[in-house]
Parts: sequence; structure tokens; C-alpha cells
Amino acid sequence: MIHCESLRFSYPGDRFSLRIDTLDVESGSAVALIGPSGCGKTTLLNLVAGIRVPEDGEVRVGETNLCTLTEAKRQDFRLRHIGLVPQNFELLDYLTVSENILVPFRISGDGKLPEGAKSRAADLLERAGIAEHADKFPDQISQGERQRVAMCRGLISSPEVILADEPTGNLDPENQDTIVSLLLEEATRIGSTVVMITHEPALERRFDRVVNVLELRKGSGE
Amino acid sequence: MNWRGILHLGSRYLARNRPKTVLLIAAFTLVWLLPAAIALIVSEVEEKLRSRAAGTSLVLGHAGSALELTFNALYFTKPAIATFPKSDADEIAASGLADVIPIYSRYTAGDYRIVGTTIDYFFFREFVYRPGRAPVRPGECVIGSAVAEKNGISVGDAVISSPETLFDLAGVYPLKMTVAGIIEPTGTPDDNAIFTDLKTTWIIEGLGHGHDEAEDVPEDQKLSEEEDGVIRLNASVMEYNEITPENIDSFHFHGDEGSFPITAAIVAPHGAKEQAILKGRFANSDLRQLITPAEEMDELFATVFTVQQVVLWLLIGVGIGTLAIGAMVFVLSHRLRKDEFRHLRHLGASPGTLRGLIAFEAAFVVGSSIALAGTGLAIIAAIAPMVVEKVVG
Repeated sequence: MIHCESLRFSYPGDRFSLRIDTLDVESGSAVALIGPSGCGKTTLLNLVAGIRVPEDGEVRVGETNLCTLTEAKRQDFRLRHIGLVPQNFELLDYLTVSENILVPFRISGDGKLPEGAKSRAADLLERAGIAEHADKFPDQISQGERQRVAMCRGLISSPEVILADEPTGNLDPENQDTIVSLLLEEATRIGSTVVMITHEPALERRFDRVVNVLELRKGSGE
Repeated sequence: MNWRGILHLGSRYLARNRPKTVLLIAAFTLVWLLPAAIALIVSEVEEKLRSRAAGTSLVLGHAGSALELTFNALYFTKPAIATFPKSDADEIAASGLADVIPIYSRYTAGDYRIVGTTIDYFFFREFVYRPGRAPVRPGECVIGSAVAEKNGISVGDAVISSPETLFDLAGVYPLKMTVAGIIEPTGTPDDNAIFTDLKTTWIIEGLGHGHDEAEDVPEDQKLSEEEDGVIRLNASVMEYNEITPENIDSFHFHGDEGSFPITAAIVAPHGAKEQAILKGRFANSDLRQLITPAEEMDELFATVFTVQQVVLWLLIGVGIGTLAIGAMVFVLSHRLRKDEFRHLRHLGASPGTLRGLIAFEAAFVVGSSIALAGTGLAIIAAIAPMVVEKVVG
């Protein structure tokens, strides 16, 4: 499902550079990306999401080589095929919980909600255990609940790929477990491929595969 | 362009940040509305004052403020101007150079000016009575349409003059006047005035009065009875405070009518030559002035426009400042929302959608403020004539 090859990336004016020879993630599998801070986990995730473009190499999601697409097309591709779950929730504080979940539909196409979108949002909220907060604003709910909302937003369009950037980083162990369970159960249900960054060893065993980014880089001869 | 999404997200942002949105809209509304409203009201006042002034050739009055004289004679708003003998106006009429209409505009009935004049005034202003007729004897009056409407007064009802001061025992007794007619609306200060003849206003002033025949009053109300038959009465004699067909014959004036006061006289010269002669005659007079109201209005509005220009420039300065602050609020707000836009971009929002979002919010604030200012201006335009009428009569 995800295929990265001969990736080279560096930030302008920064000594950091990322080199990865190969990374393959099979369709429907769940992969945990681990590694020390600053090793390039988030950069790799952004490359896979098409948010950043490598200087060299190839990032393929399904049949699409993201490196050959324009920024607008990458954004469109992301919108249609990838669900993003950021670490800091990134909820819009002027929208209610249920409206936040539907944002990917609002910013795509003609902004019209597809049929069944609202009931799917309600269903996700129900399964995330926050249905009673549907009409509340983000500042009226707890951190753990906000992360669940962000998770629901990443899942709302039943994406083929879910990329989660340490979604449990700010949560207590109980909430961490709940979030990962929700993510993996829903991904299994809709057949999505999951790549999630985590620092929690306890969560690693819940994934099909654990990839240490530092070792990936070493493998590339860095 | 994803207008539906932009509309949804933009409107939700504005609604959630209501205080900021309302404040910005209010500030921008004032920026558009204030200069326009001032210009509109000044224009309304100017039109009203100028049209009245243009219809009146000359006004005779006591030497002093020409503007106060204009306002007393034309708009009945400056009662406390110096009076002069009616004979001065009669002299002009006798010269054959002009028609002269004396005006004694000093007393009130409640909030409304009582204007003592002659029947010529009613023809000069082309009054139409609906219903009723012009006053034909002392003690009768006709009232402006606004006076009638606001107070529910009909023909046959009475209006009572107000004493000048609460304890005015010296002479200005309340006089009950019968309404003979109601003037059809004119859109001029006449709508808010009560017109009667000069004699009635002099009776209000105490220059004329009516009472029982001196021979018939009780002895204790007599001061003395001279041998030549002249009876002097004391102040306890009851004077009539209403002129009726029964007591009208008892009303009389002590003194020469020509010496009785008026506040102004409208002078309508028979031609340009006569006007020039009259103007020349009063050009160097220390006691009287013969003014051209239209010229006084020109002078007044020259001053008003100067002030208006200054005010408008100040408002434009304040407006530019307000717009700059508004723009800064937008810029700062978008800086604060940098993360939000970055994340929307990451989620897949196109640059066009993000630009549309920013443009929508700015357009909504500016558009709403223009719409509100337009509505406000329409309301002001609708009520301006009423407000102006209230202020300048």
C-alpha cells in the first residue's frame, strides 16, 4: 500500500537530513513508527502524507507516486485517501465536536456533506464514547476527549491510509489505550492501513509491525 | 472554489467570535455612516431653511442680529429679540414701495409659538384650511397641522396661551383662543405654529383687555371716580380671559396701536427698484435693519459648510484610523490562526479555499457594515425631515 524508495530529504538551512532506502507497508496492516526524538519520524510521516516532497526518491501510496503530483493534486489526494491524526488535536475551536469531525468534507469538493456523513460522524462519536459531547466546543471537553475527536475526524472519510503522529503523546495510559483501540478497531473495520508514531513501548505490541526510523536510516548508510 | 465550505467555516468562525465581529462591524458601520449622515442632515436642514428664506424677500426688524431676526420671522424660533413699534412697518406700507406683513412672535401655547400677524400673512403663505377658515375676530386662531395632529385639536376647540413665567402677575394672563381653522400641512415651520391676529397677541401681552363696564363694577374694585366721569379701577377687577361674541365689545386698548410692539415685518417690495430703495433707506439705520433672509442663509451655511468640512475631515481621519485598526485586527487574527490554516492545508484544503475563507470573513465584516450603514442612512433619510422640522421648526 505504501512504498518509499531511495528517499532523500532535508530542511532548507538545517543540518538534518533523512535518507531511507526502502519502506513498505502492506495494505490493511498497522505499523508503529518508533525512534528517539528528532530521528525523523514526523518528517517521514509528512513525506508519506505528501505534505512534504523529497528531494529525491519515490513515495507511492497505492498506485500513486506522490512525488510527481503538484501541491494542489497532493492536497486533493490527501483529502480523498489519507486520514491524518495530529498530536495536538488541531481542532477548530469555533466548530462543535461533530462539526470538527466533518471538516474534511467541508474543505473538499463543493463543501457539501455526502449522504450519511452526519450519521457516520454520530456513529464514530458513539464508538469513541463521546457522543454526549457532540454539540460542545473543543474548549469544553478534556484533552483525552479532544484526541478522540481528532481521531474520529481522521477516520470520517474511511480513508485507505491513516497517518497518526503520536496521537497518544499528551494522554494518560488509560486514554492512550482507548485511543489506540479505537484507531485499530476502526481501521480493521474499514480495511485501512495505519502508520502511527509512538513513544510508548506498551502500545507497540498492538501493531502488526514496529519500524524504528533510526534503524531505517542506518540501513540506508547514513 | 468551494463556496459552500467557505461559507460554513467562515460563518461559524464569525459567529463563535461574535464580540470581535460585532465590534468590527459596528466600527466600520460608523466609518461609513457618520460622514454620510452628517452630509444628509446638513443638506436637509439647508434645503428646508433655504426654501423658506428664498420665499421671503425682505424682513424688517430691530437693529441687532440679522440671523436671530430671520429665525424669529421665518422659523419662529428666536422669541427673545428686541421689538419695535408697528408704526415703522406701517410707514413702509404707506410709502407704497412694498406690501408689509407685521409679525409678533413672542408668546407660546405649550410648546407652540403663537404668531400674531395680519390676514395678509395667510394669503402670503397661501394657507389652505382643512377644515375651517381664517380667523376673523380677536380671540380666534388657526393652527398648524402638526399642532392639531399632535394634540388632537379640532376646529371649535380652544388653545390657551402660556404665561411667560410661572408667577407672571404683571400682565401676561393666559388667553383662551378658539380654533377657527386648521392649516393643511405645508412642511414648513407654519405647521408647528398658532396664528392669530396682532390684536390678540397684544391682549396676551396685556396691552388690551376686556372687563365689565367700569360703572357696573362693585365699589370695592374702584380706585377713584373723577368728576369728569373717569373711573379708575384697581387690580382686583376680573379681566376676561376669553374673547367671546358676548364680551368682544368690552375689549379695548390703552394707547396708540402704532406704538404697540412687533418682532418683525415681512416686506415684499413691488419690484427690484423698490427693493433697492428700501434697502438703501435702512442701510445706515442704527435702529432698524432690513435684511434679505436668503443672504443670511448664505452666510449661515457658509459657516456651517466650513464647520462641516472640518468635521468631515476629522471623521475621514478617524475613519482611516478605524479601518487601519480593523485591518490590523484581521492581520493579527490571521497570524494567531496560522496553525489552524496550516492544519487545514495539511488536511487537504486548497490555497483557494483558505484565501476564500479569509476573504469571506473580511467581506462579511465590510459588507455587513456597508449594508448596516446603508440601512441606517435610509432610516436617517426617512426621519431627517421630522428631526429637522423638530429642530428648526
